[in-house]
Amino acid sequence: MTDLNQRRILSRLFYGEFSDRESEIEAVFDLIVRASDDFDSPTLIGLLLGLPRVGKSELLRNCFDRLFNENGGAAPFFYALRRSRLASEEFARDCFSQFLSQFVAFRRNDPQLIEAADQPLSIIHRAALPEDYSSVKQVIDSFTKAAEDNKPAMMVRLALSAPALFAEHAQLNALVMMDNCELIIGTDLDSAISGTLGSGPMRSPRASYALTGLRRPLIKLIPPDQELFSRIKVINIERTKDAVVEKFTRMRAERLGVETSDSTIELMSQQLDCDFFYASAIIDAAASGGVSLKTFIEFERVYTAEVLTGRIGHYLDASLREAAVLPRDGRAALEAIALINEAGCPVPLDAVAERMGIPADQAEALLDRLHSRELIDVNYGFVSPSGDPVLSDYVRARHRSEIAGAPRPIAGQELLGEKLKHSYRLMMSRFNRGIESQLVQLLSRFDFQSVPASLFDQDEYEKRYRGVSRVQVRRGLDDEKDRVRLPQIVFVHDLGGGEQPGVNWRLFAASGFEGGIYTEANEVLWVIALINSKEPLDVESLGRIDQRLEPSIRSKVGKSGVLSHAVRWYVSKEGFSAIAAERLANAHAYRSSYSHLDLLQDYLTRLALSGATRPASEFELVIPIEDEAELIAARTAEQIARAADFDQESINQIKTALIEACINAAEHSDSPDRKIHQRFAIDEDKLIITVSNRGKIFGKANGQSAPSVRSSKNSRGRGLRIIRALMDQVEFERTDEGARLVMTKYFKRPSNQ
Amino acid sequence: MSAAEIKTRLTEGAAVIYPGAYLNQLRGERIESVCQEFLDRGIRRIVVNFQETELINSIGISILLGVIESVNNARGALVLSNLNDSNRELFEMLGLGSHVEMAATEELALLSLSEETVGSAT
Repeated sequence: MTDLNQRRILSRLFYGEFSDRESEIEAVFDLIVRASDDFDSPTLIGLLLGLPRVGKSELLRNCFDRLFNENGGAAPFFYALRRSRLASEEFARDCFSQFLSQFVAFRRNDPQLIEAADQPLSIIHRAALPEDYSSVKQVIDSFTKAAEDNKPAMMVRLALSAPALFAEHAQLNALVMMDNCELIIGTDLDSAISGTLGSGPMRSPRASYALTGLRRPLIKLIPPDQELFSRIKVINIERTKDAVVEKFTRMRAERLGVETSDSTIELMSQQLDCDFFYASAIIDAAASGGVSLKTFIEFERVYTAEVLTGRIGHYLDASLREAAVLPRDGRAALEAIALINEAGCPVPLDAVAERMGIPADQAEALLDRLHSRELIDVNYGFVSPSGDPVLSDYVRARHRSEIAGAPRPIAGQELLGEKLKHSYRLMMSRFNRGIESQLVQLLSRFDFQSVPASLFDQDEYEKRYRGVSRVQVRRGLDDEKDRVRLPQIVFVHDLGGGEQPGVNWRLFAASGFEGGIYTEANEVLWVIALINSKEPLDVESLGRIDQRLEPSIRSKVGKSGVLSHAVRWYVSKEGFSAIAAERLANAHAYRSSYSHLDLLQDYLTRLALSGATRPASEFELVIPIEDEAELIAARTAEQIARAADFDQESINQIKTALIEACINAAEHSDSPDRKIHQRFAIDEDKLIITVSNRGKIFGKANGQSAPSVRSSKNSRGRGLRIIRALMDQVEFERTDEGARLVMTKYFKRPSNQ
Repeated sequence: MSAAEIKTRLTEGAAVIYPGAYLNQLRGERIESVCQEFLDRGIRRIVVNFQETELINSIGISILLGVIESVNNARGALVLSNLNDSNRELFEMLGLGSHVEMAATEELALLSLSEETVGSAT
């Protein structure tokens, strides 16, 4: 049986295939919440902006399904604009009947009724709930009259306002989601929809709107209206992580019975740039062709075929055609994209236009359309590639066959060969990116901690821990006396990378503060070289890295004029040759290997956890009531307080106070076992000592129980005075068995730390 | 030497008492007894050297106050020396500073006593 909460209504992906978008979905739903919180507030418009194929449409479809399945106080409406229905009347009829059928289906909790959208309005109307019947009829009558009077603009306005009107009558909120909104540009709908964004039907307390489409034209749709901007909430849809796309690819492959391997799945996510559409197309093509994707060559064959003649190719054909309708424009577009892909860097717009072989004004207009569809990037007079690697392959192959004149099969073979050669490198770059992101994440955790110095001195680390188990290394690190005090890093900047045979590197600049004081004098720059080499880094390669590193340090330190110093940290996968290590040691540079990053991460995690779990650090002690047993308690407290990093003065005060507490407990104990119970709890910022006795109340001297003539009222009063003076908080508590004294001492760390 | 036994020494007509690591009731009473013996023998200049004393409890302090009172009553003089910061702070907090002189070292304490005029035994 299908779980109602998982019913797929408009979603294209299966349950579980769509994930990692909860915060964006919450942001969309927040539009409804905010609208319903305050009926006097203006309607909110959510703009979902993101790269093409990042999943914006699917996200809205998923929102629709969730609200529909929830069948609560918010009715979902979804409309995807279509190129074939952009004339005002056609749009209005299509949109109105879609919204009407969705509302009737929602009220009936029957998704199948949505399919009635292409039926006459009277047929859809018949399915409405009895309580909605008359209100729905009123809206239909208004729309029909506008159509009869041949008022397309009125029809558009009524279509757009229909969700709010339906919701109003049913005492619901409405979330109206519209996709492909960029299509209205240049049509009659442009002014109709843009105009009504600010006033009119789209301004209803019951309805909120979520619009998406191609982000560049979408932004241009918003009129320069300050009041309108205050009602717009931009919801950025970022590219998903590798792991999410890989999970999706695995699930889809499994569902369609396509065999894969971990390495091809990883390669797919890299080569397809984590794109859901491309990944689906590849899996679907493999499924329909009955081939597996267990090896790189199997994947690359399917990929090449898809790019040249499959769904991916058709999609990119269509994308290009939308921007370049005329055949000569298509060729010009291919020339332009091929040129900038080949250049690998921004190319002046004039130079690209000249290469396109069409008049300059037409070339610039075409480039603008390509930019709108994110097939290229045009910024400040320069043209750059879009960053879509699949588009790049597609253009290269088409350019070869259609412009350079290579027969199509040969162009395909060339692409296949290139992709196979590139696959290993791609996987290596994935590995490098993993390490880079680990380093950046690690730097963001630098927060004035004191860490073992050997993690920044590979030679010292080797001396101490060569051949030692990981557990012993961890113990050794805990015991190390030499420490490096980390700064607090506030900003990490990527300084770029470089490579030579056998070695590649990436440089980072991390800015922060030392010593926990935010002054210019404490500003520090950590410059980090992350080096991936097959052998220990030799001195020649080090020299090349330094050539790139030094200007960065000089520019950062010199430019600020206040930055007092820079720290160099070299992290090499395979360590350093003896000469390179010596040279770095002489330059007082930190030297680590990749494994040290893991250990450092592990160490910082343990530090953070030890802080977080401090309340659980409790010790218990039971001492007999006999001469000088309180000294045992004092010694125990000393050890605990020292471990918790209390200074000596505080330790002495704790010991003295505890001795007084024990004497007090002994004096008032009626316990047959003649014992004093103590508990020591180390919290984040304090030590709490609880001393319990089974007898009378602390501090209330009772002559009959006094074990000694000396434990007079005066000396007890003095004892309590001592406790109160030496501890920060003192409380007496009654318990079922007697009483307890709870003493708290807060950390007062030595000032030199 | 038992746990409660304390060291003493005589020098230039003065007695120096060493309470040991922990001044509690036991050692306080021992000091009280030893001090009385010195007074009985006509030795009225007394130094209590806390060099080795790590901890002092309130009962020990009470007894010490009694000792100070006894010496004063006998027209003698008592000086505390070599107190660590914590113990000095404790004494000052309890107002002992107004009852008894404190010297940084045993030598300074003895020097201070040598300048002090003490009453003769009657």
